[in-house]
Amino acid sequence: MKLTPPARSAVHHPHAHDSALKHATGAARYIDDMAEPRGCLHTALVTSRWAHARLTGIDASRALELPGVHAVVTAADIPGENDVGAIVPGEPLLAEGVVEYVGHPVAAVAARDLETARRAAALVEVTAEPLTPVLDLREAVEKAHYVLPPSEFLRGKPGPALADAPHRIRGEIMVGGQDHFYLETQAALALPQEDQDMLVHSGTQHPTEVQHLVARLLGVDMNAVTVEVRRMGGAFGGKESQATIIAGIAAVLARVTGRPVKCRLDRDTDMMVTGKRHDFLLTWDVGVDDDGRVQAVEMTLAARCGWSVDLSPGVVSRALSHADNAYFYPHVKLTGLFCKTNTQSNTAFRGFGGPQGMMAAEAMMDQIARTLNLDPLEVRRRNFYGPEGRNLTPYHQPVEHFRLPEMLDEVLASSDYAARRKAVDAFNAKGGVLRKGLAVSPVKFGVSFNKPEMNQAGALLHVYTDGSVSLNHGGTEMGQGLFTKVAQVVAAVFGLDLDRIRPTATTTGKVPNTSPTAASSGTDLNGMAARIAAETIRDRMADVAAEHLGAEKSAVVFERNMVRAGNKSVPFGELAELCHVARVSLSSTGFYRTPKIHFDRTTNRGRPFFYFAHGLAVSEVAIDTLTGEWKPLRTDILHDVGASLNPAVDKGQIEGGFVQGLGWLTMEELVWDKDGVLKTHAPSTYKIPTARDVPRDLRVDLLADAPNEEATVFRSKAVGEPPFMLAISVWLALRDAVASCGPAGHVPKLDAPATPERILMAVQAAKDTA
Amino acid sequence: MRDAIRFALNGAIRAVDDVPPHMTLLNWLRAEGLTAAKEGCAEGDCGACTVLLGTPLPDGAEGFDWRAVNACLVLVPQVDGRAVVTAEGLAKGGSAPHAAQTLMAETHATQCGYCTPGFVMALAALGRTPARDDESVMDSIAGNLCRCTGYRPILEAARALPLEAPAPEEAALAEKLREIAAAPLDYRAGSHRFLAPTTLDDALRLRQQFPEAWLWAGGTDQGLRVTKQFQVPPGILYLGRVPDLRGITEDKDGLTIAANTPYADALEALAALAPGLDGMIRRIGAAQVRNLGTLGGNIGTASPIGDTLPPLIALDAEITLVSAERGRRTVAARDFVTGYRKTVLDPDELIVAIRIPRPAPGTHIAAYKIAKRVDQDISTVAAAFALKVQDGRVDHARLAYGGVAATPVRAEKAEKALLGQPWTPETVAAVKRAVAEDISPMDDARGTAAYRTAVAANLLDRLWHETAEPGTPARLEAL
Repeated sequence: MKLTPPARSAVHHPHAHDSALKHATGAARYIDDMAEPRGCLHTALVTSRWAHARLTGIDASRALELPGVHAVVTAADIPGENDVGAIVPGEPLLAEGVVEYVGHPVAAVAARDLETARRAAALVEVTAEPLTPVLDLREAVEKAHYVLPPSEFLRGKPGPALADAPHRIRGEIMVGGQDHFYLETQAALALPQEDQDMLVHSGTQHPTEVQHLVARLLGVDMNAVTVEVRRMGGAFGGKESQATIIAGIAAVLARVTGRPVKCRLDRDTDMMVTGKRHDFLLTWDVGVDDDGRVQAVEMTLAARCGWSVDLSPGVVSRALSHADNAYFYPHVKLTGLFCKTNTQSNTAFRGFGGPQGMMAAEAMMDQIARTLNLDPLEVRRRNFYGPEGRNLTPYHQPVEHFRLPEMLDEVLASSDYAARRKAVDAFNAKGGVLRKGLAVSPVKFGVSFNKPEMNQAGALLHVYTDGSVSLNHGGTEMGQGLFTKVAQVVAAVFGLDLDRIRPTATTTGKVPNTSPTAASSGTDLNGMAARIAAETIRDRMADVAAEHLGAEKSAVVFERNMVRAGNKSVPFGELAELCHVARVSLSSTGFYRTPKIHFDRTTNRGRPFFYFAHGLAVSEVAIDTLTGEWKPLRTDILHDVGASLNPAVDKGQIEGGFVQGLGWLTMEELVWDKDGVLKTHAPSTYKIPTARDVPRDLRVDLLADAPNEEATVFRSKAVGEPPFMLAISVWLALRDAVASCGPAGHVPKLDAPATPERILMAVQAAKDTA
Repeated sequence: MRDAIRFALNGAIRAVDDVPPHMTLLNWLRAEGLTAAKEGCAEGDCGACTVLLGTPLPDGAEGFDWRAVNACLVLVPQVDGRAVVTAEGLAKGGSAPHAAQTLMAETHATQCGYCTPGFVMALAALGRTPARDDESVMDSIAGNLCRCTGYRPILEAARALPLEAPAPEEAALAEKLREIAAAPLDYRAGSHRFLAPTTLDDALRLRQQFPEAWLWAGGTDQGLRVTKQFQVPPGILYLGRVPDLRGITEDKDGLTIAANTPYADALEALAALAPGLDGMIRRIGAAQVRNLGTLGGNIGTASPIGDTLPPLIALDAEITLVSAERGRRTVAARDFVTGYRKTVLDPDELIVAIRIPRPAPGTHIAAYKIAKRVDQDISTVAAAFALKVQDGRVDHARLAYGGVAATPVRAEKAEKALLGQPWTPETVAAVKRAVAEDISPMDDARGTAAYRTAVAANLLDRLWHETAEPGTPARLEAL
């Protein structure tokens, strides 16, 4: 933001996260930090050691003999329906009949302490007849081994247009998955209540889904289950559907034992059991003209869904709807494959398929440019969406308010791109063992859940008679600053200082039937719902104020903790008391649904997105051609968050998203052995970025003076996911560095993650081509 | 002999006699309701459980040697006679947040907050470190993972941190703890036992008496048997309280490092002796691990990917072992490990010291660590080279590798191909072919055998570039 907002401004101001100091002193409580209730039991899971097998027996007798063991439950002990399928039914909480991956929960133990529970779990004897698993994504593609039939986005006549194109280029890349590696592993604490009720503290982004599925597991109505979450220690999509597994196990054990049960997974169990980002095999067949302009494209995006459907329909749909990224495809066919493998069931993860779709677009642009000996930057610019005639997406939504062309000019200038391009080329021309690479990549990300019905939110707001405000909404806090931003919105409506607004734990008892906090939509939806609730109360209070101050209602202004009309005023708290005396309600719900959106899932056409968020990154890297090691040197980011509600929080999302994306594309490698055992299931083997992996020179700018054209909350834009994909620039810069080792026209073969090993092999291949 | 564990927790002395000796400090703290320290991994790789551990300075000095450590890798009896500070203690119960805490909040360095207390404690350790540059700031948080922020604001907080003087009450507390620590500990809980002798003779006697007890130096590797494999040790013989096993002496011929000297100290001395080791050394574990783990422990666990043996082999180091019955003996570092996690150490023996001769003048020493990630990663390939070129020909060569076989190896065929030859690219090419015969790498989650073979050979190219073309950058660190 160019303008420095006044210090007291509630919105458009870099307020600290509402829990910042509590985080730092350790006072912020997470589920495992809560005082354990009397008689609380602890959980360990018994999981499959086969990738695919028919269960022949589960013998818990030795486990039950161990002192301190209270219960061992299997599928047969689940009181209600053994199903936690998020979209499609048929995903048992505990395996029934067959196990479908190494780590598949088969039974769960409740014991007096964790050590006893773990010892007991090891004593449960599971027998099975092994079946043949499918472990490899390529194998699943070849065998058409799917969890769902393919899905297709089609516009124009790609077949004939491809045949007519001056150049036809085919390519593929494999893009690996990613573990969420939230620092707080999955946890739930279930407390049996009176009647058949169950209170569940669940580390979840989707309390309503946990409520719904716990009710289904226990065979009770949803009104018998309350799910609450104050905060999570990171989630990134991993605590959306997956949290139901942990909460479900805790709730079932609590019901069976009649005691409070905590289920907190240790890191290894968490990584072995829960789903991750989908890895994708991306292939394309593109026709271009001599200038590298796309004439037609056919792409296949094959996703590793793992053993079950989970949220894969949404993930693949978003991958397909982002395989254009910022580029216009005149004729296009995109096919999504839902591949089934006997591995963890992959799930939501920041970007939700969008990053993988964009990787197809960006790898393809890079290949087009190198094949035709054109500047990759120019090829990108030429293919950008444009005015009418060049503005229709593969799902038939016109791209409006497309900001990337101007943003590109701005970031090229601010990053001194042209001079640095020359310097990098000159450095490489010397032919040393170190090479540099430089690349620019854009992000255009569609904001709204792809499923229109999910774009709704509720809030519940109370003003107390001292003027303090209690805020509740359906969104969950996982570190992204949602509670802070929504509180800012409420403070702005009431003209109050931020510390008068108390965000409270998300609970299904206060705001029902919510959508997950996902798809970057948390603030857009819940901020709007809270704003509506606040405006409802403010309107009632304004009536009372007008009467009290003897003024027209239209003259009443709420600002600086006061309510004014002309030269008269009353403190907000006093007005609240006056409202109470006047028997005016100081409590309201607020409900919001996103306008303008629609999507036909049978034709894959419509307007799934309310608007687009944009970003650009320029990254420079160096590689060591002897070892494949690499180092980020500098990244410049220009990102569009509309009129930022909180520039500090938004910058945090941009930097954090970028670094998480950098981890995905360079070092976070999921390795399964030939038996389907995940070998990278703890930070000793699974490497997320540390401070040294971040470019020392990292410059992040928010696009200035750029309020959202659509009527979002204070004209801001969503920021949770879009910056993640800025990291594609790093991967492209690595390709650029590798390409310098080969002859002109060489297209590096570099799958993601671009580990030192893959970089070295790509360098070797480039040298061998030369 | 005492039978209760006594230590200072956030400034107050606590006595504990009701926990199994293999209970980790992290689990104990959390059970006490001090939940700022979090379990993120239970293997010392994420830093979310970082606390300050203060060891009273030896006689004559006041106060503590404060270090950041991972509470998940420290056993409760290990802190006997020491001081522990958690984020709660740092904040004085919330009434007066520490500068590290307010800075983390002010710089927007917290998002989800789960890793934050760990970072705060890493910063608190940094705040007590007078000499500080940007690399050491970076090193101070290299053992802490954050999944939300991208680290920039955390570094901002770290750089802004003021230097902190010891609190006035620390000297008296240290004195009290020094008295406690003077007596050996024999802690028992049920059938479990934790023995912490204070002299080498006692340690050797106990080693003989309880050969089944796990030897416990820093615990950064042994600890994983407890936290990851859920093993219950039949007994623990802790070596951290024996003064003779700690310390570094230097003479004109080299260095002697007592076995239980923490990496942090030992590696600093090694890097001073052979500056070429520096780049690799600061990448062994991270601060919290280097503060706990010991040189003798790293050698004794005989891990094929332990990073200290390749440099010790390249430097012709010798390891001194001792038993109560047979006294001392010395073995060459290259002969110490006999197989996968097997060594020449007898069941009644202890490693007492490592002797590293001073490299001959003109010897080029280099050590390289290749991993997926720069910091806090396990080597895919580790290499340490000692090379002396006299009148254009190779006069002395030691090529040692880790991560390329079941044990650390010395590439003897390659050394043979090198000795007496001119130090030229042609010789390097021949030596690279020989290296492939000296090693037997395997495929695992860190890399394929093919990659390891390629890198093991290519590192000789790097050595050539660094010695023959010292002006041209051949390592990413130079950029």
